[in-house]
Amino acid sequence: MIYGSKRIFRYLLGTDIAGRSLAVYQDDTFIVSYPRSGNTWTRFLVANLLHPEEPTSFANIERLVPDSEAQSSRYLRRIPRPRVIKSHQYFDPRYKRVIYVVRDPRDVALSYYDFERKYRHIDDAYPLQNYASDFVSGRLSSADWGTWGENVGSWVSTRRGQKDFLLLRYEDMLENTMLEVAKIAAFFGMEATAERVRGAVERSSVQRMRGLEKLQGKDWVSTKNKRPDIPFVRTAASGHWISKLPKNSIAEIESAWGPLMAALGYELVTTQPGCGEPLQMLSSSVRSTLSRERI
Amino acid sequence: MVLPDDVFIVSYPKSGNTWTRFLIGNLIHPQSPVDFSNINLIIPDPEGLSKRQLARMPRPRYIKSHQYFDPRYPKIIYVVRDPRDVALSQYHFHRKRKLLQDGASVEQFVSRFVAGKTSPYASWGENVASWMATRSDRPGFLLLRYEDMVVNTTRELAEVAHFLGIQASKERLAQAVARSSAHEMRKLEEKQALLWSSTKETRQDVPFVRAAKPGGWKTELPEISVREIEGAWAGLMKSLGYQLCFDEEHARARYEESDAKLGRVLR
Repeated sequence: MIYGSKRIFRYLLGTDIAGRSLAVYQDDTFIVSYPRSGNTWTRFLVANLLHPEEPTSFANIERLVPDSEAQSSRYLRRIPRPRVIKSHQYFDPRYKRVIYVVRDPRDVALSYYDFERKYRHIDDAYPLQNYASDFVSGRLSSADWGTWGENVGSWVSTRRGQKDFLLLRYEDMLENTMLEVAKIAAFFGMEATAERVRGAVERSSVQRMRGLEKLQGKDWVSTKNKRPDIPFVRTAASGHWISKLPKNSIAEIESAWGPLMAALGYELVTTQPGCGEPLQMLSSSVRSTLSRERI
Repeated sequence: MVLPDDVFIVSYPKSGNTWTRFLIGNLIHPQSPVDFSNINLIIPDPEGLSKRQLARMPRPRYIKSHQYFDPRYPKIIYVVRDPRDVALSQYHFHRKRKLLQDGASVEQFVSRFVAGKTSPYASWGENVASWMATRSDRPGFLLLRYEDMVVNTTRELAEVAHFLGIQASKERLAQAVARSSAHEMRKLEEKQALLWSSTKETRQDVPFVRAAKPGGWKTELPEISVREIEGAWAGLMKSLGYQLCFDEEHARARYEESDAKLGRVLR
């Protein structure tokens, strides 16, 4: 009851965390991803691209590309439009313009494990293999955002191919950052010069972001009061799962989301991709419906 | 508040949700027939009951929903229906609710339907795809096609009983099917339409329980609307076993274009 009235009070004051109840405007652009998939980097790239006059840092990112899961409804109402907003939500039909960043779930699991230790949700002794099982089954503090497969599947299946949906792979962003940022610029309808794109990429480099985290990490909403010995800006690399993730965990992840991973171009190592086309995956349940024995 | 043993009966609006509620209600309560005066207590719409009433429901709770994907739902019976029939049914339902006038343009309605502007539950394609992509073929998810339910109601209800872990004899299944027939439901609607929240403030000359059969779109939906629906959701419709009439360049091109775009991004 006390919790309830506190929540109502917060809601009335507008100090509740916006989250899924965020008031959405038609001209909002959302940077959406499952956690630990390159969202913060993308926010920096976008903010540096849109605001070349003001280098992005952890001190101004919440103003330039605010986090709907960390900021209050009132705060977000006061952001000048058109807003660019960060989100980890699964499919929300109210989001009209979406940049969705996807990352290989085997790397996401590894990164999330460090993050959960940083947040003191698990301690260092908690085995990675157990964590990977939690990750697959959705037994996480982030359960509200669905599992990796649910989050990714819900967006890709509903919006892929549409003009207001830009799908970026974290791995492509690493490999050819300039090209992917050029796609972002085009998505915003910008005539961006190579200089402008390069500037945004440089001001969002992992070296610069690590330096900023050292200086500003104790004040940023997402790292404040978290373990300072585990960095938020981690490896900024792909493929570490090959050497770091236990074989069982790889198999568990691939068996949970194999078709979706294959459809996104993530090669499976434990199972055959089988059908790579997402719609084939969609239809398998129907096939069992169709083949039901008739009385 | 979702409880771990909750069962959700989910569908896009006008896809056979009420019929499914009657079937399941009659299956789990063979001693007292379901009607429009008790359905909201047996399988409520959570938006129509108070939190206290919901908290007091016997468990496991059976709950109706039209929501697109929600990760909290633990157990889901998802009913899908041919979107061409859904569009038509929704057109008539909007007439019943006085949101459309008689003779309003079907073409214009279908355009808004395809854009997801006729319902707060996203577009038909978004709603269906969001569930299929996340939950199909996983434990705790049963997909029913309205068309299969019409053709062999007992068989599909047996599937539901199995999914719910209910040991139902042939007699019990047959009784639930008979008590939920379109004929029975029409009779109940005639008597109780003014009691039920979904129909009481609507036009009484337009029925809620409508054709109760598939394929009405073939004669009632203009060709341009059929093309528009098929163009928007060709891949999803085909994957659900709904045959397209205009599976030519138009539909295929749009579908392949979106695939090619995905391919470019992915490769």
